[in-house]
Amino acid sequence: MATVKLFCAKASEQVGKPDPDMNWKPIADRAAQTVFWTELFKGLGITLGHLFKEPATINYPFEKGPLSPRFRGEHALRRYPSGEERCIACKLCEAICPAQAITIEAESRADGSRRTTRYDIDMTKCIYCGFCQEACPVDAIVEGPNFEFSTETREELLYNKEKLLSNGDKWEAEIAANLQADYLYR
Amino acid sequence: MARYIEKVTRFYKIIKENGGIMGSVRQLFWTDELKTGTLVGVDEDGNKYYQNNMYFMGRSRWVQYSPKYGFDYDGSQVPPEWHRWLSYISDEPPTVAKLPKRPWMAKHTENPSGTPDEYVPYSTTRPKIEAWQPPVQK
Repeated sequence: MATVKLFCAKASEQVGKPDPDMNWKPIADRAAQTVFWTELFKGLGITLGHLFKEPATINYPFEKGPLSPRFRGEHALRRYPSGEERCIACKLCEAICPAQAITIEAESRADGSRRTTRYDIDMTKCIYCGFCQEACPVDAIVEGPNFEFSTETREELLYNKEKLLSNGDKWEAEIAANLQADYLYR
Repeated sequence: MARYIEKVTRFYKIIKENGGIMGSVRQLFWTDELKTGTLVGVDEDGNKYYQNNMYFMGRSRWVQYSPKYGFDYDGSQVPPEWHRWLSYISDEPPTVAKLPKRPWMAKHTENPSGTPDEYVPYSTTRPKIEAWQPPVQK
């Protein structure tokens, strides 16, 4: 509507900023604002006010943002409460992985149970979709709550079975509690 | 007016709780922040955890890293039990709602990247192809 009105404006009609008032008092006011830098000090006043306001940001790493119990972070291989590793090398995670980041090789162990000999995750390929933990029938592979695993070199992100199991051993307390908090909704 | 008096008294309270003028300057230099809160607990590395719901969620729980880390504090130095509380996943700190502890659980370590303890990938299987060793002529 405004554009229509703009195009309909007569040549004599004022559509831009109106001309400044040219009486002596407004002229003196404008000159005083320029001379005394009024806008500048108003701006500085706003800056000063914000110094005393509570900041809207959080001070990481001292404060951290809220996470969900379902948060999908660094992978971990879990163990049963007895200490036996859960993974039975069914390779469902390897099959479902859309980025094909998981590589598994399996052998039977000395006691005859089927276990992985190789469980590699290429964390540079992983897209953190969480399909692996949804596919796992024994809750062995999970994406834990840890997101602070950035590395300085690329090769450190090529996780093998030992690294994943040690992640599980370190984070099991929180992983188990998060699964417990969320089990009704799964 | 009472609003401003409250702010001034809070300012003096924060200065006092952070150990006077010098303590506050040191704390400000160390963490960029001066806050007041109640001590919720201390983990085994000596990191102290505070809470004050006067601040909005996200700022209402914080960690004071152990002085032994100096300026090498890092987000990954928070152990899993406290990580759960600090990330607002649970309402109760691990001092109240204790998480189960198994004998095979490992001690938490900080992110070792860039240190001599960093993870170096290796194969966990035997090589499938073994090189032929030519017989040595006697």
